[in-house]
Amino acid sequence: MNAQAIRKDIRKWIFKPETSSLLIFLLMLLITVLLQKNFFESQSLVRSINAFAPLILMTMGQAIVMISGTIDLSAGPALSLMTCVLTYIMKTNDPVTGVTAFIVTLLVAVLIGVINGFGAGYLRIPPVILTFATSYIWLGAALFIRPTPGGQTVDWFKAFYDFGSVKNAPAGLVAFGKVIPPALLLVLIGCVLWYILSKTRTGRYLYAVGSNGDSAYASGINTAKLQMKAFILNALYIFLASLFFVGQNLSGDARMGDPMTLKAIAAAVVGGIAMSGGRGSVYFAIIGALIMSLVNKIIFFANIPNAYQTLVSGLIVVAAISSSMIYTKVSHSEKNKENA
Amino acid sequence: MEKTLLSKRKESLTVFYGNYKKIIAVCLLILLLFVLGQVLVGNFMSASQLLLTIKMSSFIAFFGLCQMAVISVGGNGLDLSVGYTATLTAVLTASVMDGQNGNLPQALLMALGIGILVGLANGLLIAYVKLPPLVVTLAMSSILQGIINVYTAGKNITGKPSPVLQLIAAKSTGIVPNVLFLLILVALIVTLILNKTKFGLIVYGVGSNERTAYLSGINVRVVRCAAYIICSTLASLIGLLLIGNMGTAFKDMGSNYVMPSVAAVVVGGVSMKGGEGNYLAVILGAVFLQTLTNLLVALGWGDAGKWLGFGLVLYILLMAYVSDRRRR
Repeated sequence: MNAQAIRKDIRKWIFKPETSSLLIFLLMLLITVLLQKNFFESQSLVRSINAFAPLILMTMGQAIVMISGTIDLSAGPALSLMTCVLTYIMKTNDPVTGVTAFIVTLLVAVLIGVINGFGAGYLRIPPVILTFATSYIWLGAALFIRPTPGGQTVDWFKAFYDFGSVKNAPAGLVAFGKVIPPALLLVLIGCVLWYILSKTRTGRYLYAVGSNGDSAYASGINTAKLQMKAFILNALYIFLASLFFVGQNLSGDARMGDPMTLKAIAAAVVGGIAMSGGRGSVYFAIIGALIMSLVNKIIFFANIPNAYQTLVSGLIVVAAISSSMIYTKVSHSEKNKENA
Repeated sequence: MEKTLLSKRKESLTVFYGNYKKIIAVCLLILLLFVLGQVLVGNFMSASQLLLTIKMSSFIAFFGLCQMAVISVGGNGLDLSVGYTATLTAVLTASVMDGQNGNLPQALLMALGIGILVGLANGLLIAYVKLPPLVVTLAMSSILQGIINVYTAGKNITGKPSPVLQLIAAKSTGIVPNVLFLLILVALIVTLILNKTKFGLIVYGVGSNERTAYLSGINVRVVRCAAYIICSTLASLIGLLLIGNMGTAFKDMGSNYVMPSVAAVVVGGVSMKGGEGNYLAVILGAVFLQTLTNLLVALGWGDAGKWLGFGLVLYILLMAYVSDRRRR
């Protein structure tokens, strides 16, 4: 009797999507460590964190949107637009413009969230086609202010990438940055933001809206407002990613974010976020982002020629999404069997 | 007696207006753009400009037909991979054709093969694995882009279209571009198939109510899958037209048509929920978008203005047509 209960528990645990993504993550980590002997040395760890952070932030935002039952296809172009706005306002020899740029871009981020959220939440336009339309608005706006990649940045903005590269940075801060790089801090800010939110009513209502919008509405939840909040949050995460990108590249590019959209969606799905909404954990979306990043790293170590990279990553996205979809279906039918 | 006749006529007028409301709206919008262009830029309504607009919008309209095929079967259908499907065909067939008419059958076979393969992959993932169409086709376009990158890595794309393709896609008879005749022919065939055949009925049935269609014995999955195969095959054939028009193939030749092709369907007022299809409306949508592009280019706003304008127009029209607000 007891043994049976334990077996049942194990079965239940195995068929959770979170478990599978955790297992895949550990497997990927193992392969990476075997391929890259110095993976756990501090310098290469910092390099890995820098490479992974933008996708992690984008995935967290996407995960929140997907939990609320919508999807954001405009995330990549929104990222590009923010980098363009940042580098458009900043002037190299005037440190104050950095502050202005920060505030203005934050406002742009909120506006992006509001426009997407208004269409998807209040007007209830199917989110895929809506964000497909807005992605071109962001692209057009980005091309308007920055037709070709470039722009200026203030010196202290480099701090979002590496404290050490800022002129006259305090030695203590530089040493701190060697252990905890800014990219990790940005991800931590993202995590804290979601942690606080998930303890509030809004956090729980997001799941309610995503799993059944009509019942949520009928029980008195303002579904439209919640979905708008999800889109605004998503835009804030994209904003964090854009800070990192500008700190790293010191320029803006209207087309640089395009490949990020698909990667973020795929990472969220791999992390166990249901495309139908209402299920999944934002923290496990981070695991999904890590899996996708490690896959890229493994591709790099496998010495695949540059030309093949778009092809391989596209194939991996399709494989990842369809396998997790099939997995969810199988685990669902498994659950139904148990209940019967 | 006379009174009833009058009211009857009035009634038929209202029915006419109800059926063609969206088409009339598009026509008015196109007219508005031309008037705006004439006022702001001048020399906007010349005959040569009009014919050029028709030619350019024909290509958008062809891609719009691809989208209409997958949108009309419902299930939030859309295909973002049409651009790279066309590009792949153009790039691969360029060296096969090599400017000879004799090689055209081979090129056609290749185009059909590529289209059917891509469409089958899309259709299986969407109809059987039940993945969201937009995500699948977005991923597919990145895969196709990858294949093009691999093919063109380290070498130039060589080859020319066969003269027949150039005759169809680029040349004109008198002042009328030949591609217009092709468009009219395609429009007639599509309209006939959708309105007069059983297949058209099935497409509408699956699009408007999946459940009912399933219960009446229609294999919904097969129909959806077929729609994606038709869509990709058409896109692949359009790739041949594109290379015929441009004279050479290049890496990004089709990707700029993806957004307009979706927008043309929305502007034409075809329901995004499926169960509808009106190719004439899609063609008018394409004309509208091309006229808008012309206006923005004439105003000197270039690429940025074009994408911004398309995005805004799509957003506003989605607000007008698709919005489904909760009513208390």
